[in-house]
Amino acid sequence: MTDGPLIVQSDKTLLLDIDHVLSTECRRAIAPFAELERSPEHIHTYRLTSLGLWNARAAGHDAEMVIDTLLKYSRYAVPHSILVDVAETMSRYGRLRLEADPVHGLVLITTDTAVLEEVIRAKKIAPLLGIRIDAETIAVHPSQRGHIKQSLLRLGWPAEDFAGYVDGQHHDISLVQNGWKIRPYQELAAEGFWHGGSGVVVLPCGAGKTIVGAAAMAHAQATTLILVTNTIAARQWREELLQRTTLNEDEIGEYSGAKKEIRPVTIATYQVMTKKKNGVYAHLDLFDTHDWGLIIYDEVHLLPAPIFRFTADIQSRRRLGLTATLVREDGLEGEVFSLIGPKRYDVPWKEIEAQGYIAPAECIEVRVTLTEAERLLYATAEPENRYRQCATTKTKRTIVEALAKHHADDQVLVIGQYIDQLDELSEVLGVPLIKGDTPVNERERLFNLFRSGEIKCLVVSKVANFSIDLPDATVAIQVSGAFGSRQEEAQRLGRILRPKSDGRTARFYSVVSRDTIDQDFAQNRQRFLAEQGYAYKIIDADDVSQGKL
Amino acid sequence: METRSFADYLRALDDQALLALFALRPDLVSPVPPEFSSLAIRASSSPSLARAIDSLNEWQFQVLEACAALKEPFTEKEIIALTDASAKFVIPHLLDLALIYGGPKSYWLPNSLREVLGNEPAGLGPSSLAKLSFAKLEEAPDSAMKILERLTWGPPRGSVGDIRNPGPGIAWLLKENFLIPLDQRTVVLPREVAIHLRGGKIHKNPQPNPPVLGGSKGKEAIVDRAAIANVATILRWCEEILNFWSEEAPSALRAGGVGVRDLKAAAEHLGVDENCAAFISELVFLAGLVVIDADDKILPTHSFDLWLTQNHEVRWRTIASLWLITSRVSGLVGRGDSKHISALGPELDRVNAASTRKQTLEILRENAYLLPDSESFLALVKWKAPSRRSSTLQTELVQWTLREAEWLGITGQGALSKYGQQFLNTDANLGIAHDLPKPVDHILLQSDNTAIAPGPLEIEVARVLDSIADIESRGGATVYRFSEASIRRGLDHGKTGDEIRDFLKKTSKTQMPQPLDYLIGDVAKRHGRLRVGNTTAYIRCEDPSVITQILSDRKVEGLNLRRIAPEVLVCDHEANELIATLREAGYMPAAESGSGIILAGPKLNRAKSRPRPPRIIGELESLSDETLSAAMRAIRAGERSSHKQTSLREIASKALGELPRTTANETLEILNKFIKEQRTLSIGYADNNGSATHRIIDPIRISAGSLIARDHGTGEEQSFRIPRITGVAPL
Repeated sequence: MTDGPLIVQSDKTLLLDIDHVLSTECRRAIAPFAELERSPEHIHTYRLTSLGLWNARAAGHDAEMVIDTLLKYSRYAVPHSILVDVAETMSRYGRLRLEADPVHGLVLITTDTAVLEEVIRAKKIAPLLGIRIDAETIAVHPSQRGHIKQSLLRLGWPAEDFAGYVDGQHHDISLVQNGWKIRPYQELAAEGFWHGGSGVVVLPCGAGKTIVGAAAMAHAQATTLILVTNTIAARQWREELLQRTTLNEDEIGEYSGAKKEIRPVTIATYQVMTKKKNGVYAHLDLFDTHDWGLIIYDEVHLLPAPIFRFTADIQSRRRLGLTATLVREDGLEGEVFSLIGPKRYDVPWKEIEAQGYIAPAECIEVRVTLTEAERLLYATAEPENRYRQCATTKTKRTIVEALAKHHADDQVLVIGQYIDQLDELSEVLGVPLIKGDTPVNERERLFNLFRSGEIKCLVVSKVANFSIDLPDATVAIQVSGAFGSRQEEAQRLGRILRPKSDGRTARFYSVVSRDTIDQDFAQNRQRFLAEQGYAYKIIDADDVSQGKL
Repeated sequence: METRSFADYLRALDDQALLALFALRPDLVSPVPPEFSSLAIRASSSPSLARAIDSLNEWQFQVLEACAALKEPFTEKEIIALTDASAKFVIPHLLDLALIYGGPKSYWLPNSLREVLGNEPAGLGPSSLAKLSFAKLEEAPDSAMKILERLTWGPPRGSVGDIRNPGPGIAWLLKENFLIPLDQRTVVLPREVAIHLRGGKIHKNPQPNPPVLGGSKGKEAIVDRAAIANVATILRWCEEILNFWSEEAPSALRAGGVGVRDLKAAAEHLGVDENCAAFISELVFLAGLVVIDADDKILPTHSFDLWLTQNHEVRWRTIASLWLITSRVSGLVGRGDSKHISALGPELDRVNAASTRKQTLEILRENAYLLPDSESFLALVKWKAPSRRSSTLQTELVQWTLREAEWLGITGQGALSKYGQQFLNTDANLGIAHDLPKPVDHILLQSDNTAIAPGPLEIEVARVLDSIADIESRGGATVYRFSEASIRRGLDHGKTGDEIRDFLKKTSKTQMPQPLDYLIGDVAKRHGRLRVGNTTAYIRCEDPSVITQILSDRKVEGLNLRRIAPEVLVCDHEANELIATLREAGYMPAAESGSGIILAGPKLNRAKSRPRPPRIIGELESLSDETLSAAMRAIRAGERSSHKQTSLREIASKALGELPRTTANETLEILNKFIKEQRTLSIGYADNNGSATHRIIDPIRISAGSLIARDHGTGEEQSFRIPRITGVAPL
């Protein structure tokens, strides 16, 4: 019995005791094949998945190395069944290969004809295949490369893809590191992506995912299509690229509702890509207008369904997905992995925080007690209106006022879901409001004023959930949200995670009505962050109003 | 050379040889036969012989086949000629088993042995009566040689179109007596010719030595580590499947046993495949930890609670020992071709299961830390215990045994571990308790509302945690998740929020995260806002005015009643005392059982029936030396008394000159002797009307309780029912 930091569970989860001396070493050793699931304070949970093991195979690790690592760091004896399973799963990889064939285009080749016979009989696979060339080879329609990989993965016979990627049109891009340096984890992430070919990089909000994108572009040296959530984000990407790379203004185009520029580096919004004209997606052609060498999907957890479908068709181009929170409330995480590529890099938020690249944050749940009248109103509300009812109470407003007053010297964001509530708050606090119908220029103006410190407080709707870069915001007050959305909570915290010049701790307040459904939703919302090690502190609204913070 | 009867041979054996025989063939003394004639009959009965033959290894069997191919009496030299010089080491064992008898110069076979072995031992045909000149074989035409080649290694029979119009090869062979016509269409190769063609030996592949077991040597430390992990896992599985069934007891099938769906559910719960789930359910069934209750519910028994209090080594030894000897084969459950066979069901017994299992483990035991390759392992098992009747089942039994030994932790990564070794050597201390991870008494609470027990938890801690949190992941450690529902469950089980908090604070090595603290507080607050205290008895009444009346009643002042709610009074006096006082004061209270209102602890469902582990059939346990010698004394005593009786009767019968009279055993003994010697004898035979007649017969053989003999009176072959033979006498 060794005294290792790792406990291998029979359900294939790995528990890593991070207080153990060997934990860092062990984390590095298991990262190539195990997926990080949760990283709270003491014990991190990783999971052995088929996908993870196959990715490890693809990256050149073999079953023996995986088993050795497990045995080496394991605190208790490792269940035999797990070891057998690891060996078996990994041996399934590579029996099928996708290769470019000079005559037949794309072919599926096997070293094990029985496997080929099995898969060509599968209903989902048969329509994707062409003629049988010989016992070990069968042609595949080149346009089905993505589909067949996805289907083979589901059958448990992942194909090793040797067909390669198109280089795309060459374009010189390199990083200009004047006065800043790429951070080690950003470099690792970009390299991990490049060696893997395609895939998703998961980094906390504010950890500089744009730089990872820029570094990937520097690797690719090719024309690049960047898909982002909205116009503001598009402009931020543009600014960042201008500042950090050799690209100049003429080389970067914006393809949005307002402008339709196509340049060697084009930044498009999901919104315009999914816009329908006469029932057809008018702008999906963008993927084909240029010989893109790299496609970057920002905030890939928001990837809309039409783009999903399209991505399946462009498997020969390199794809990079960027996100902080790969939790989709629609449960489509798996689709993201199979279409964009597997997770290539993931790191616990707290680790980046410890390295000082994101600001330390304190999450505080403020519980307000409803007045009798409000409780009665809540109790008699229709079930579908209940959340709105309890999330927008007057009592909350007073608390927000108190909080804003307490943080009068800080840059404060008040974030909410319901426009009426935000309108009121904006009025009460006497600060501007940014919501969906605020014109882009007005938004930019307000954000700039906020960045420069002329405005200390902003009320924002969910438009500011993502990609809005507000480096100096140190306090966020959440008054309502999209029910129990975990990623929304994390993204909102992300708005204040940019490291502060004075190393100050950011504060994230979530104002919650006690004994209502609001509280239940809050608990669910907090789960992602709690699993990342953000321990919520719960305080009473009375403490706030009495200034005890 | 003198022909001796089998009974005489047995009679003449010394005590030591007799004890050895009984030890090797315990079925001979269960029940103890009255005297040697009966013993001889039993020892030469087909079932007993078959059982003894089953215990032979391949080489011993080949030597026995050689014996059967010889004419009696035969000599050691003749046996060796047909086999190999090393056969002489086998002969004593065959003698010990009484599969051959006589010696040391000449040997005989017990009566039915040839029948048990089949009429064509080693694929040899009958002896030829004609004189054969093997030199002639040199001149055999090609067509004849071809036929001979085909028949040489058996089966010796071949069919021809028409014996009267044979092809040239057959014609030549028939002419030279190298083939014997059996009937219109069949010819057979005589034994002598086959042996000659086989080069004087009778086996193509004589196997005096066991095949070599191949495989790779496992590293001791790794094997032991893997094994102890398996031990820990199997114990956890047993516990979990029983807890699972305790929560929701599945109904047994009408024919008994666990339904396919229930087994699947259990397998999913444990995270194992259905074969493994079937194995686990059979294990706990064998140990009497689960029973099919009177109402057809499959429920853990009270033995389970006792079992849980034992240390892990005792628990493991209990189930492993039972597995060792059981005749039930869990591998049969739910196989493609036998879906109807269910775990805990009545159809799992297989006669050779325990012996094959023992054989398999024996090989493992001789090869500690060896990871055997399955092919050579099977070859070795087949050599050690050639199974002539159901070899597919044997192969599967071996494979299942290996699989199950791994699940049990007797092996680790396929090689015998030190625990397995010590267990098979029946060592007193296996070291399991020592080597299993030490139970931990603490947990780590985390702010994502999980708690992690970084090792096996002490049972008391685990029980409490089980009631207030849901298990999310099992294994070396356990991950618990707290949720509103789980906390509420804890409260339902009678804990208060403060108790839960205190318990967690006490058990956790890390600080209690505030969200969890609040969660517990919130749920507890909503959970009926309970107040808990100690009291001995209570009075409750739906009418608060009555309560008020009692409270102000002077007659009951001495009870020190306290009002805790408008409708409830409590006091520190016993309930019956309280009732008596109230009755005296003129009230009419009714007693109420405490269970109605006091929140009980978690309900552990247990069967009402007593444990009924399945009976082990088909296998005989080895008898102790005392039993064996007692059996021998009994037979010797019986023998003496039967001799006395016989001589008395002989005197009487001579005087009367009547029909021969012998006891049933003597009858059989004499018949057997005369069949062997092919001599004529006279018998008394009772006809359908009960009148006995005197017959002169040539006995041929005994089969199915009848004597087949040629009756001199009719000149025909006739069958005589043995019970009707009143006596036998030589002429």
